[in-house]
Amino acid sequence: MRLRTKEYEAYLFILPALSMLIVILGFPFVMAILMSLNLAWVKSSLLGFTFENYSRLFRDRVFYNDLIVTFSFVVSTVGFHLLLGLGVALLLNMEIKAKRFFRVAAILPWTIPDVIAGLIWRFMFDPLSGIINSVLARLNLIQLPITWLSDARLALPSVVFAEVWRGYPFVMLLLLAGLQSIPQGLYEAAEIDGASAWKRFWYISLPNLSRIIMIAFTLDFIWECRRFGLVYNMTGGNPGHATEVLSLYVYKNYFVFFNFGYAAAIAVVLALIMMLISFPYLKASMKEL
Amino acid sequence: MSKRNTSDLTRLLIYGALIFICVYNLAPFLWMIFSSLKTEAEVKSYPATFLPHVVTLEPYANILVWGGFITYFMNSAIISFSTAFISSFVGALAGYGFSRYTFKGRTSLMTVFLASQLLPGVLLVGPYFRMLTLIKLYDTRIGLIVAQTTITLPFSVWMLKSFIDTVPVEIDQAAMVDGASRWQAFFKVVLPLIAPGIVATTIFAFLLAWGDLLWALCLLSSPSLKTVTLGITELVGQFRIRWAELMGASIIASLPCVILYLFLQSALTRGFTAGAVKQ
Repeated sequence: MRLRTKEYEAYLFILPALSMLIVILGFPFVMAILMSLNLAWVKSSLLGFTFENYSRLFRDRVFYNDLIVTFSFVVSTVGFHLLLGLGVALLLNMEIKAKRFFRVAAILPWTIPDVIAGLIWRFMFDPLSGIINSVLARLNLIQLPITWLSDARLALPSVVFAEVWRGYPFVMLLLLAGLQSIPQGLYEAAEIDGASAWKRFWYISLPNLSRIIMIAFTLDFIWECRRFGLVYNMTGGNPGHATEVLSLYVYKNYFVFFNFGYAAAIAVVLALIMMLISFPYLKASMKEL
Repeated sequence: MSKRNTSDLTRLLIYGALIFICVYNLAPFLWMIFSSLKTEAEVKSYPATFLPHVVTLEPYANILVWGGFITYFMNSAIISFSTAFISSFVGALAGYGFSRYTFKGRTSLMTVFLASQLLPGVLLVGPYFRMLTLIKLYDTRIGLIVAQTTITLPFSVWMLKSFIDTVPVEIDQAAMVDGASRWQAFFKVVLPLIAPGIVATTIFAFLLAWGDLLWALCLLSSPSLKTVTLGITELVGQFRIRWAELMGASIIASLPCVILYLFLQSALTRGFTAGAVKQ
């Protein structure tokens, strides 16, 4: 696959990308760590740093709350994305009419920016002008409008609902590609042996999909951990901190409270958690690189 | 899963499920479109109507009259185009380097590229904001474009490398035997062969930049520079939400994304799953 030539040429090809990565991602990353250790503000001695921001994390109730919110948000969105994605991929992989139409319809929610998806669902969940309460009221299921997004118990499930809608088509696309690459012969052989549809799914589809499920999980996990625009526009983290994911809390600490060191500390913790969980998968799924 | 004898009942269940999924996926879009065609009184009525009683284009007229929108749209276009172009070009270079050479530190460098994906934007945007203020690039398009380009870069490298991998290395060799330099082999032989991959990568970077809110929110403040997602978001923050106008603006802002994604979907899946579904 590779040419045996002058090695330095390779670096010339990679240099532009690498230097951008170092300056625009690497440098701010190091700066964030230094800021979180208060190093940037210590002038008296170069080695002066404190763990004050990190110890403050342990005492911060909002941080604990947001950690749980983020965890619930990520676990439920990624879980539903995989379930729904797999279900719809199996459906679209069958012999059906109007395949093209159904495929396009299945992908559409993923095509719009998450900022705008957040807005649409905020409007749909609106207690008075929203369609959801309107349908419930017309079916006589509710007497009074439900305040979906300002009720502390309903707000997070509503946000999750919106993000499940927006995000699952991508997972579905990956799984569908995976399903289509499974050799048809495997199914035919199994059918001759009298395997039921369930068994064919369990013993052929699922094992052959395992790698792609891992990729879908990893990408989706990373993306949902960083989700910002949808939540920002749908609830802004309200009511209270009921839907405040960590990325929102970091943003507020940076640009609303101007608490740079603390914001950096939260972000570093978020990045560490993401790395710990997803790095093994990321590496495994990229083995062939 | 073809050629299987499915009974009428299963057939019914399959189509029932498909139709349910369609309704679930499309209803919010229809709601967005219908709402953008309603009068202000109807948008505010309770319980809400699904189809407009009276169709009006007034919300769209209001959007156009509201001076900022066209500027915002153009800003988004400029920023996203530049991002997409630079990211794909730099990404193709690096992808070629990774695909065609064995060199010291190759694996660790690729790991660095991959791992950079794990840095959340909120971690970087604060320090980056300080860097930009220091070099007087805060509130400029360049500052935002450079940031967006770098964020999309690892994906571009990854996707383009997998596309370049599909081109046999003998093709480069043949070109070089015929007297082409390495650069010419890359630029004139390999790049045209992976044109579909480049298109997919460019569109993908374009859409990532187009959909961004966080970076624009933190790096821009002049109204003349704001992007369309930022403009729409700020409309929400105002004291009274005008839903019809907001939905109209959202439709216009999503249109480029919807159209491009539909073009892109097969190439995109190929890029993401390259290697994973190899037989």
